[in-house]
Amino acid sequence: MNMLEIKNLRKRFGNTEVLKGVNLSLEKGEVLSIIGSSGGGKTTLLRCLNFLETADSGEIIVGGKSVYCATEGEKPVVTPEAQLSFGLVFQQFNLFPQYSVIDNLMLAPKLRAKRMSKSGKHESQEEILARAEELLTTVGLRDKRDNYPCELSGGQQQRVAIARALMLSPEILCFDEPTSALDPELTGEVLRVIRSLKDSERTMIIVTHEMEFARHVSDKVIFITDGVIAEAGTPEEIFEHPKTKKLQAFLSHTKNDQDFT
Amino acid sequence: MNQFIDITLDLLNGFSYTLTIFFVTLLLALPLGLIIAFGSMAKFKPLSALTRGIVWIIRGTPLMLQLLVVFYGPGLIMGQILMTEPTAVYLTFTINYACYFSEIYRGGIESISRGQYEAGKVLGMTKSEIFFKVILLQVVKRIIPPMSNEVITLVKDTSLARVIGYYELIYFAQRYQKNAGLLWPLFYTAIYYLVFTALLTFLFRWLEKKLDYFKA
Ligand SMILES: Nc1ncnc2c1ncn2[C@@H]1O[C@H](COP(=O)(O)OP(=O)(O)O)[C@@H](O)[C@H]1O
Ligand SMILES: [Mg+2]
Repeated sequence: MNMLEIKNLRKRFGNTEVLKGVNLSLEKGEVLSIIGSSGGGKTTLLRCLNFLETADSGEIIVGGKSVYCATEGEKPVVTPEAQLSFGLVFQQFNLFPQYSVIDNLMLAPKLRAKRMSKSGKHESQEEILARAEELLTTVGLRDKRDNYPCELSGGQQQRVAIARALMLSPEILCFDEPTSALDPELTGEVLRVIRSLKDSERTMIIVTHEMEFARHVSDKVIFITDGVIAEAGTPEEIFEHPKTKKLQAFLSHTKNDQDFT
Repeated sequence: MNQFIDITLDLLNGFSYTLTIFFVTLLLALPLGLIIAFGSMAKFKPLSALTRGIVWIIRGTPLMLQLLVVFYGPGLIMGQILMTEPTAVYLTFTINYACYFSEIYRGGIESISRGQYEAGKVLGMTKSEIFFKVILLQVVKRIIPPMSNEVITLVKDTSLARVIGYYELIYFAQRYQKNAGLLWPLFYTAIYYLVFTALLTFLFRWLEKKLDYFKA
């Protein structure tokens, strides 16, 4: 069964249709990379999945369960479970500046536990702390647990942001150009962390301009342009044997310079 | 010397009225300002237009005039004074300062990046959790300098209470001028204001230092 299925997702801003019917499916543990030139709708797609934008129509199915199904003129309410099916790592990190690293990780889970304590089962403070410390170790920042975001480099901040997203155990973790705001020498450490998540069977969707990285880490790659998936396939199909003219042109304009291994 | 001590103590009594106006106004206007700020940012257009209209009127007219209208206005219309002097003072000062505070809050809230709200949302936090646990402290940090200005202005604005004949420090000092021909107590009041605003300045600086541990 598919972990994620997106059916005919559409989104318009005013008169411009930004997503013109996106269809895709992803199996558990698969990594999907989304490539495409700027303005094609990649960010909008991730934002619709994370309910930061409400798609005008289409359906989102996670683990066989419909979490969002909109028809023109009728938009459903997003439930907390639907929201937490997805996690998002932003280009600009968006850490909470007034909280230390460990508290950035624990804030949302603690609030969630407090909310759920009214209805019985919930995670204890100790469990949350233990998970946070474990995740900090995973991203290699155990020793920064008590630092504040302003004391970290961009690469470290992004790794904290990844750990923070993982605290909510999303079924599908999305990344929107996670290394675009970083100095070139800092992208490697972030890409390595993302790569390590693949090894732990995490379902991920990564919008990226790091072609070499996409080629190595992905199971599937889609090329989005003008709000449609213009081409989809395995990394080999997309990068070695691009079929459409648009993808061929796109690939010839991007060069690879990043070593992430 | 005896006279100096007597007058000092008497003015201190007058200053206690000043302080009462100051603290009552702060206590009520700080939260009311936040409500007005939300009103002026409301997505429901009639509400935000109405709120902004009220803020414009309050900020666009002298506080002294507002005191006179609130205290004497009902008398003109209905033939009787509705409020005691202190009530009129607290009410007018609170509304006036809440409007100024609301604009400071609004500026602070709107300056926080959208990414902070979005990060909270994708982590499953509710709107109020995002506001109180993520946004508020960042806003507080940013608005300390303009708030400190406004609060120090309030200390001195309390002297306007005397236009409707309510007690405060200068009212007390002027009695010596009228009754005994003494002018110096009036000038002497400056010391009270200066000492108190110095305390406030230290308090705000301390607060600023307290929040220095993060950048926002
Ligand atoms: N909130 C918005 N309002 C209006 N237009 C938007 C908004 N967000 C994105 N767009 C437009 O949608 C198109 C796709 O944007 P985006 O999804 O950010 O593309 P990408 O991430 O592929 O660069 C662009 O033309 C952009 O200007
Ligand atoms: Mg984008």
